[in-house]
Amino acid sequence: MKFIIQRDLLLESIQHVMKAISSRVTIPILTGIKIEAIEAGIKLTGSDSDVSIESFIPKENDGIVNVEQIEPGQIVVQSKYFPDIIRKLPLKTLEINTDDQFQVNIVSGGSEFHLNGQDAMEYPQLPVLHTDNSFEIKNDLLKELIKQTVFAVSTVETRPILTGVNMRLEDNLLNFVATDSHRLASRKIPLSTENEGLSFKDVVIPGKSLVELNKIIDDSEETMSISVTENQILFQTKNLYFLSRLLEGNYPETSRLIPEQSKTTVLTQTKALLQAIDRASLLAKENRNNVVKLETKGNNQLQISSNTPEVGQVIEEVTTESINGEDLKISFSAKYMIDALKIIQEDHVEIDFTGAMRPFIIKPHENEQILQLILPVRTY
Amino acid sequence: MSKWYPKNGRVIFHLDMNSFYASVEMAYNPKLKGKPLAIAGNPEERRGIIVTSSYEARAKGVKTTMPLWQAKRLCPELLVMRPNFERYRKASSEMFKMMAEITPYVQPVSIDEGYMDVSHCHHLGSPLDIAKGLQFRIKNDLDLPCSIGIAPNKFLAKMASDMQKPMGLTVLRKRDLKTKLWPLAIEEMYGVGQKTADKLQNVGIHKIGDLVDANTFELKRILGINGERLQQRAKGEDTSPVDPDAIYDFKSIGNSETLREDTVDDSTLTMLLRKLSRKVATRLARKEVVGQTVQIMIRYYNRKTITRSITKSTYLSSETDIFSVATDLFELHWNGEPIRLLGVTVQGLIEKSQVAEQLDLFRYQEQAGNEALHEVVEQLTTKYGKNPFQSFTSSVDKDQPRTSFQKDFLDDFRK
Repeated sequence: MKFIIQRDLLLESIQHVMKAISSRVTIPILTGIKIEAIEAGIKLTGSDSDVSIESFIPKENDGIVNVEQIEPGQIVVQSKYFPDIIRKLPLKTLEINTDDQFQVNIVSGGSEFHLNGQDAMEYPQLPVLHTDNSFEIKNDLLKELIKQTVFAVSTVETRPILTGVNMRLEDNLLNFVATDSHRLASRKIPLSTENEGLSFKDVVIPGKSLVELNKIIDDSEETMSISVTENQILFQTKNLYFLSRLLEGNYPETSRLIPEQSKTTVLTQTKALLQAIDRASLLAKENRNNVVKLETKGNNQLQISSNTPEVGQVIEEVTTESINGEDLKISFSAKYMIDALKIIQEDHVEIDFTGAMRPFIIKPHENEQILQLILPVRTY
Repeated sequence: MSKWYPKNGRVIFHLDMNSFYASVEMAYNPKLKGKPLAIAGNPEERRGIIVTSSYEARAKGVKTTMPLWQAKRLCPELLVMRPNFERYRKASSEMFKMMAEITPYVQPVSIDEGYMDVSHCHHLGSPLDIAKGLQFRIKNDLDLPCSIGIAPNKFLAKMASDMQKPMGLTVLRKRDLKTKLWPLAIEEMYGVGQKTADKLQNVGIHKIGDLVDANTFELKRILGINGERLQQRAKGEDTSPVDPDAIYDFKSIGNSETLREDTVDDSTLTMLLRKLSRKVATRLARKEVVGQTVQIMIRYYNRKTITRSITKSTYLSSETDIFSVATDLFELHWNGEPIRLLGVTVQGLIEKSQVAEQLDLFRYQEQAGNEALHEVVEQLTTKYGKNPFQSFTSSVDKDQPRTSFQKDFLDDFRK
């Protein structure tokens, strides 16, 4: 195998596939990066058997040459050393060639590395997905879906299914739901292309996979294809192939847990509320649950307060657009509230309360696609 | 007056009541004065051990923690009384009040001893006069004897109060260390228990003075950080402040009990665990705290002792919760050998008012089961300022703590 390649392109691809590589894997060869040279370009693969990522560097892009002098072949290199070597090479291009002893030679200007590689034949074959369950979505929309839900997944393994994001597709409406059982985030997006009859509801993607995917894909109008099988999901663009295992089990039915009526409705500026909660939480951090108290006052005023006896107390007054319904006093985690408000881009936010001991809903004003749910805390 | 006070130092008192429980009984019933008196737990049972005894009894060889039968053998005419905690509690509270009248810097250590920092009491006279006055008042008003140690720090004050009993008044200056402190046996030193003393004697440290000269690194190797601290103290250095709130910084609440006889009987052991859990739960409720960690202690027939603990994600406070965790721990760690003593402790305590229970999306309806009740309590609390439903604590109050009661008493001080 041999090729000469643009260093930055190779580095970018390395960074993509590194997202799938873990030092704790059962098959030792998976700690390496597989490099494959074919006539059309160079393909890099990284995998921890839960997530597998392939990144392709085409030989040419719109007439610009990326890779030259390709002699086909394949090798596996140590991911511990390879990325740093490439990053620090002196020139903008580099040559990689291998011999039949799996020796990898990296040459760039006056710099020459000889690295021990491994036989790529020992690298496990990535599964080929056979499915008709495919649909397309724009990159930027997918990124939005991920960002607005994945923060709410559970980080503890007590209920493993909750460490994932539930993806549903029904009536051409794509819905991501995540909950750690203390708060819930849901985002819906209508798909632009027709996907007649395609529907699923028990697809649960590990939150970790989506976080990595979000890092790799660009914020562009390009289209991504998503294919789903019983236990795997594939996200595919022209030069990227991202395969993740799905979580097994049934995702709890969450729609019926969302309160339908509201006893107290607050309409307020998103940013002002976020900043007030953020300030109130400065003192709340001392107590373990990061709890702040919210109270409705007359004249459309909200009072947010926090009291940590050893540290001090804080009172924040927020002037809202309107407060309708019963008076309310409720305590909740400032962190959950901040997380929820941060992903709302709209200027105004509506909060629907149904009592101090019941979940409350946060949603952008006049936007039904986003819904956040937070469970309050009970104080003694 | 300030000529008696050091320019850059502190003046610390350590006040130690002399055979406190026995003295209180004698103050209640002067007929007991001059007689050998012991206060002990249940005299019919093995765990009836001497809690304290009068000087007359001590003269015959009766010692604290000695089993009752042994004490009786040494001193057949010994009068034995069961403890009357209410009396001790009241006397203790009076004594701390007198200390607090001199300075706000009073640190209660247990029911019958405490430190006070009189560095800024120039206006009251010399330290010795203050100490004499305090000792006189306690004797005169309460009819109770005490010893006071006067020194530049807490450690030396504590050592000083021990040097003369009863009714001692001992000044221990830095320049006296060589003659008064260093000749003492190492096990006399405050902070050195039997185990530490054994370790020190193994390396040839028999007197406090030997500790001063010992190699710091070797001490650290044998005793860890505590070795260094002990050496500092032996040298007369102790910077720890008199902290009036130290007594409230309890980190754990625990109870233990010796069984009537060594046993492997499951139901006896389970019953004891339940009893201990209940006691701990009662004390937690009394202090209005909850804890995250449960520790059990098992002492086997051969005195081999193990402690095992587990930290839960939620806070525990009820008897049921503590009992269930303690039982799990016990079943996991008991090796099946006969047991002499069991202990249950809850650690990682925080005030109940600081705890907030995060409701769960899938369970909030059951969690909120008493929502209506809570709302009413909340409304009444708002109306009357303080939750009117805390009156349950009165029943808790009457519950007499039996073993690790001493610190609980001090809750009353300054109420």
